[in-house]
Amino acid sequence: MEIFVQSVVSGVLTGSLYAMIAIGLTIVFGVMRIINLAHGEMVMLGMFGAYWSYTLWGIDPFVSILIWSPLMFLVGMAIHRFLLRDVIPKGELNTLLYTAGLSLFVANLALFFWTGDYRTLNLPYAQWPVRPFGIAVPIALAIAFCMAIAITTALYLLLSRTDIGRAIRATAQNSQSAALMGVNVKRIDTITFGVGTALAAAAGVLLVPSLYLYPTVGEILITKCFVIVVLGGLGSVPGAIAGAILLGLVESLGAVYVSVAYKDTIGFVLFLLVLLFRPSGLFGVGRS
Amino acid sequence: MTLLTVSGLRKDFGGLRAISDLSFELRKGEILGLIGPNGAGKTTAFNLITGFIPATAGTALLEGQSILGLKPSAIVKRGIARTFQVVKPFRNLSVLENVTLAAFLNEPRRVRAEEKARATLERVQLSRKIESNAGDLTLGEQKYLEIARALATDAKILFLDEPMGGLNPTEVENACALVQRIRQDGTTVILVEHHMQAIMKISDRVVVLHHGVKIADGTPHDVVRNRDVIAAYLGRQAA
Amino acid sequence: MKHILAAVGVLILFVAPLLTNNSFYQHLMIMVLFWTLLGASWNLLGGFAGQVSFGHATFLGIGAYTTMLFYLSLNMSPWLGMIAGGVLGALVALPIGLICFRLRGPYFSLATLAVAEIVRLVALNWDQLTAGPVGLLITTLPPLSLGGHAVNWESKIPFYYIAAALMLFATVLTYAVSRSRFGAYLTAIREDIDSAEAVGIDTVGVRVSALVLSAFVVGLAGGFYSVYFRYIDPDAVFAISLSVEMVFIAVVGGLATTAGPVVGALVLVSIAEVFRERFAAGHLIFYGLFMMLVIRYLPEGIWGRLRFLLGLTR
Repeated sequence: MEIFVQSVVSGVLTGSLYAMIAIGLTIVFGVMRIINLAHGEMVMLGMFGAYWSYTLWGIDPFVSILIWSPLMFLVGMAIHRFLLRDVIPKGELNTLLYTAGLSLFVANLALFFWTGDYRTLNLPYAQWPVRPFGIAVPIALAIAFCMAIAITTALYLLLSRTDIGRAIRATAQNSQSAALMGVNVKRIDTITFGVGTALAAAAGVLLVPSLYLYPTVGEILITKCFVIVVLGGLGSVPGAIAGAILLGLVESLGAVYVSVAYKDTIGFVLFLLVLLFRPSGLFGVGRS
Repeated sequence: MTLLTVSGLRKDFGGLRAISDLSFELRKGEILGLIGPNGAGKTTAFNLITGFIPATAGTALLEGQSILGLKPSAIVKRGIARTFQVVKPFRNLSVLENVTLAAFLNEPRRVRAEEKARATLERVQLSRKIESNAGDLTLGEQKYLEIARALATDAKILFLDEPMGGLNPTEVENACALVQRIRQDGTTVILVEHHMQAIMKISDRVVVLHHGVKIADGTPHDVVRNRDVIAAYLGRQAA
Repeated sequence: MKHILAAVGVLILFVAPLLTNNSFYQHLMIMVLFWTLLGASWNLLGGFAGQVSFGHATFLGIGAYTTMLFYLSLNMSPWLGMIAGGVLGALVALPIGLICFRLRGPYFSLATLAVAEIVRLVALNWDQLTAGPVGLLITTLPPLSLGGHAVNWESKIPFYYIAAALMLFATVLTYAVSRSRFGAYLTAIREDIDSAEAVGIDTVGVRVSALVLSAFVVGLAGGFYSVYFRYIDPDAVFAISLSVEMVFIAVVGGLATTAGPVVGALVLVSIAEVFRERFAAGHLIFYGLFMMLVIRYLPEGIWGRLRFLLGLTR
């Protein structure tokens, strides 16, 4: 029983971080109808950013997130403005392939500069024993979880209470009508992409104390991310959260009760099953 | 002779009943008009019968054989072809290629398929635009192109979804003449239309839908005087 | 003009390996042929039909493992084994297609990625069948005689001609498809899938057929891979990067063209070689960069643009 609860807790904690990544991807899809295959690399960059700022300057990742998130927000905006914006009109297929190229480029550039060595960021306090109700909770993951909740709540408030947020939601619903209402759709697109990238990078920063770091980690992350957004419905933020928690749980429980080796496979099989029987996702929102 | 029999057709979208218990017959060689105020369910009915959306209940028999639940392409092979309310030509392909693709259904070899395509385009009077890209045509021409595409499948029944929508009066005249020629050549036609004069002029019979329910079924003359129909369009007071 | 180019191409194809004694150059030529073969088969589905598969490596791996296992365990000639590899690839493509083609556009692409990963992970973990990460090895190929001479399997030349035959097969197949009704149907599906259904095209059946055909050719290529490299393991033949490279070739060369994959393969192999000495795996950086540049400035591909400039489009 204890193992079960342990797995559930672990799954939920990890799931929350997956959720941040997935939300970043899904809002970009919701607003621009594009699927960014380079999203995993944004997470990777956040991870490396936190790693280097800790290793070189001793800044704790839970602090450096305040540097890296805004920075990556700007990077994301730049990527959209200077790279993607002119490619999107060429169609869905071309944009998909373009982001595939970008993903390949960024991941391998990182591989070239930083080598493929597996790295870890070992925080000194990560080993402190924390056992609420007798359940071992990895500290770094727990802090990450809290921050993820905070960030997601902030995002929710941004989307629901601010003018920019409303503009984003309007563009996601119907970009033509939004434009008629005076929304600068191009600016919103760029901002949304920036937000998506910032979320991914932030998730990376939060994840790095708990995960192995290597330049091509984006590959496995993006595949999981897609499983999540398809489960939850492309374009749906609550769907992304639900899908992420679900995947976190499935992986965690699968590792314990089925097989560690096949842990990743379970997620994919679940993915295919959902696609087969409910192609619009568990929340029935996303149909491209 | 009855070609198509629709009985008890029903479509629910979640809690919304879009079509209720729709039944009608389509006789060989006739032109049937399907009308009704906006949102009555006309295009939904088309989509159900041509296989683009699944029906919740009911049957549709083409020459005695059930077609509900079949894929759209299978229904085309059985003899029903349709046009779309918002035209969907293959924009980047030539006009000729658009129709050749349809002609391929019964002519596997390209040479014969293209011949049939040319002949069909001649029928709808689009021959001079044969080499143009479909996306470069005017709306009226694109509508004719869709009709040509449907004809090239050797369909027994043509389902035309608002073929006159967005056309100017001359184009509407030509379109009416075209539909009548099509019927003369032996194809049965059912069309959804908002353009009242056109429908009344060319239809042999008219079926009226309102809120997904059939409220009238008869000759144009009778339907136009039907109180329920008038009420549906103009409100209870006018009836 | 097109026919002259084709004839010249075939001539070069036959003569090329004899022009050099350097086995490394011969290896490069074989790689160009191999990648052309892969790019051309991906192109059938991805270029003509517009269905972007990121999981084609699945069929490569299946072809490779089938050939290896049939040879090592059943002593079946690897040449027959290659064909078996193609057939098995095609058979596996059938359920994959029936499942994945319920989805459209990017959903389909993601599904192929998921399938590819599942297959790779299974191959990695199913030790009894595939020997897992350890992989499989061929030490000697069965002796073969042609016209009284024993074929020298230590030389690259026989492999070159086998690769050339496969590549010609794929190219001719692509050409035949492009001229046929089936090819026209693929294009229609790419352009507008609903309209395609509306003119009587069985869009699921046609797409599955394209996938099966494509998978057969990739399976054959997988068989060749196992015979040429003589060693396979799951990360070599089931890797996502292989799938992406296939996409790259077709895109850079020219989607939906017959000769595009040749150009794409030439570019891919050239870049790989130029950068392999300087940077360990740096060539992938340039694949990515190239792909981005091509899509942005030359979406019809290098051959696509060249073909247009030379006035060769029909």
